[in-house]
Amino acid sequence: MARIEIRQVTKRYESAEASQGPALENVSLTIADNEFVTLVGRSGCGKTTLLNIVAGLVAPTGGEVRVDGRPVTGPGQGKGMVFQQHALFPWLTAIQNVEFAGKSRGVPRQERRETASELIELVGLRGFEDKYPVELSGGMQQRVAIARALALDPEILLMDEPFGALDELTRIEMQDELLRVWSSRKKTVVFVTHSISEALVLSDRVVVLTARPGRIRQEFAVDLPRPRERTDSRLLTLHETIWQNLG
Amino acid sequence: MRRTARLRDAMLGAAGTLGVLLVWEAVARSGAVSPAVFPPPSVAIPEALRRVPPGELWQHVSASLLRIVWGFCLGAGPGILVGVASGWYRTLGVLVRPVIELVRPIPPLAWIPMAIIWFGLGEPSKVFVIVLAAFFPVFTNTYKGMVGIDPLLLRAAQTMGLSGPQLLLRVAVPAALPDIATGLRVGWGLSFGILVAAELIAAEQGMGFLIMHARLLGEVSVIIFGILLIGATNLVTDACLAGVIRRWLGRWHAT
Amino acid sequence: MRPSGKTSAEGGARAGGPSRTGSRWLGVAFLGGLVLLWQLGSLAGLLKPFYFPPPSRLATAFWELAREGFPEGIRIGTHMAVTLGRIAEGYLLALGVAIPLGILIGWVPVLDRLTLPLITFARSVATLSLLPLVIVWFGAGELSKVLLIAYGCFWVMLTNVIASVKYIDPLLIRAARTLETDGLGIFRRVVLPAALPRMFAGARVALGVGFMVIVGAEMIGTIRGLGALIMEARTYYRSDISVVGMVVIGVLGFTISAGLERLERLLLPWNRGLESVRR
Repeated sequence: MARIEIRQVTKRYESAEASQGPALENVSLTIADNEFVTLVGRSGCGKTTLLNIVAGLVAPTGGEVRVDGRPVTGPGQGKGMVFQQHALFPWLTAIQNVEFAGKSRGVPRQERRETASELIELVGLRGFEDKYPVELSGGMQQRVAIARALALDPEILLMDEPFGALDELTRIEMQDELLRVWSSRKKTVVFVTHSISEALVLSDRVVVLTARPGRIRQEFAVDLPRPRERTDSRLLTLHETIWQNLG
Repeated sequence: MRRTARLRDAMLGAAGTLGVLLVWEAVARSGAVSPAVFPPPSVAIPEALRRVPPGELWQHVSASLLRIVWGFCLGAGPGILVGVASGWYRTLGVLVRPVIELVRPIPPLAWIPMAIIWFGLGEPSKVFVIVLAAFFPVFTNTYKGMVGIDPLLLRAAQTMGLSGPQLLLRVAVPAALPDIATGLRVGWGLSFGILVAAELIAAEQGMGFLIMHARLLGEVSVIIFGILLIGATNLVTDACLAGVIRRWLGRWHAT
Repeated sequence: MRPSGKTSAEGGARAGGPSRTGSRWLGVAFLGGLVLLWQLGSLAGLLKPFYFPPPSRLATAFWELAREGFPEGIRIGTHMAVTLGRIAEGYLLALGVAIPLGILIGWVPVLDRLTLPLITFARSVATLSLLPLVIVWFGAGELSKVLLIAYGCFWVMLTNVIASVKYIDPLLIRAARTLETDGLGIFRRVVLPAALPRMFAGARVALGVGFMVIVGAEMIGTIRGLGALIMEARTYYRSDISVVGMVVIGVLGFTISAGLERLERLLLPWNRGLESVRR
């Protein structure tokens, strides 16, 4: 059974933009267990909306999303999420941020600490546990955000342009980091970005969405072993094809 | 869609206000407290207007407004000038700011006795107190605005050959304008607050005087009316000020 | 373009100035210089002591207030205590109501919309304009003063508390929801901490209002308290005492405000000019 099933999802907003068509229209997609799928498209094509619907933060106007065969009713519940603006709680230190979900779940303190410590180590921030977000660089903040999302060991990781606010060099670094983390803790990942090259470096499959109405234009499988050379000619060809497809 | 939302907000607001007025009316009429001391709005307002006819009322309002405008201009003007200069010329700032910051915590009203000694019991002493109320917030906000200018803007202007006074007037001050505007609004509001007390200094006209005088005569309705009048005048003038600011800044500054 | 050696925000385009420590000494020196000029001016006969009591006079007046008291033997310590006591009562009363009420209104949008015009108007009512009314209703005693201060502090605090809750970055709440937290948990662990910085800011402004109002409130019906002291001194032509009163209030206001700031930095170490607020 597919890990995530998106069935005929439609989302309409009541606003000035509504006249231009629904944000999403009849979007269907299945995502297999431990698959890394990226949604790409121009701004406004609904990719973030779709991600929010999968996350359970937003309800679709039509259609439904199923995880492990069961319909999605709300956020959390095995779906970790990372946002573009790190959304770390500024009044908590890095490690306290990572422990946050554990505390909500009632995980005992010792266990919480241990898990959080491991994750901090995993994302390469050993020594920075007691720093506040404001004391960390952009890349570090996102690492904490990723660690935080992984705290309850979710089966699914949803990432909404997590590296969009970072500079180019840090972005590349973070992409490699993400792949490293993912390889040690396999999860189903749904990643949103507007950068085709980022999508190609990271994913098993790239799904192109077009805007107004938001629809899936085409899907591209990326069958190359990781880690991938960013200058690999096969990637460049794919890049060109997808670029044409953006519309 | 947005229009209906705004309409709904307005109606909710009106409903809330109406609710309070009704409660006031009901409680006042219930007789729990003597109506002479706590009149309902339906009685208080007409009676106040009877005792102080609109012509006389206007005299008081205009007298107060005149004082505030004088005080505000004399306070805000130097506030902006000193604020801009201190923010721009660091040495000046270093010298001037501690003095101002030390004087600032002294409430304007505390200056009244000295104001009377220096200026007598006439208009100048009242205006002086308002000047103080307006000066400090305008200075503080202007200074903050000047110091917080994005250095990038200045650097960009320099690459275009600007320097010195030109740089100050054509780039720095406009950049600090939003903060200056905030300071002006706060200063205006504070000026209003001080007005009543300032008018205690043997005034013969003005909204503050009106209330004080009514107390001596025991005319509660006039007191209540006066209070509401001051509040309303404050609100209206502040809204006008905000409107003017929005007209100037609104296009390029997201408030 | 000539390259600038300074890259900090303070350097570059603006006229250069002294260093940090240099600034501090210069500022102090200037201040000291002004005080000295003041004293000298008085000695030289340029500044009449009645109009501009020199620092030496102020010192002796302060001593007199500390030892013998004025008027009628009320010492400076008593005046300070009385004034601070009144402010404290009004302030705490105001905050005690404004904080829970503000959180409630900020959290429930309907309440916010119902009360908005009311709160806006009530804030525009000059607190001191209520003085005559409050005297008619409650007499010229302690209660009136405390209520007046409470009124002034209340509306300022209320608006700030409402804003602190209302303008929380919704992203933080979203993040919390993806972290298996909802309802009460979000309120306690996300909304309240996120609102604290702005609430502290409101508390500081409200305190300032309290100090502003107290002087006016103490002008009537009392001879105890710093405001009363300042006024009473005038009737006895003791301008030096008036100025001492002014300085004492100023110092008190300054110290307490600085104390609050220190407290805030202690309790909110993560908030360095950064706000978890949308605007």
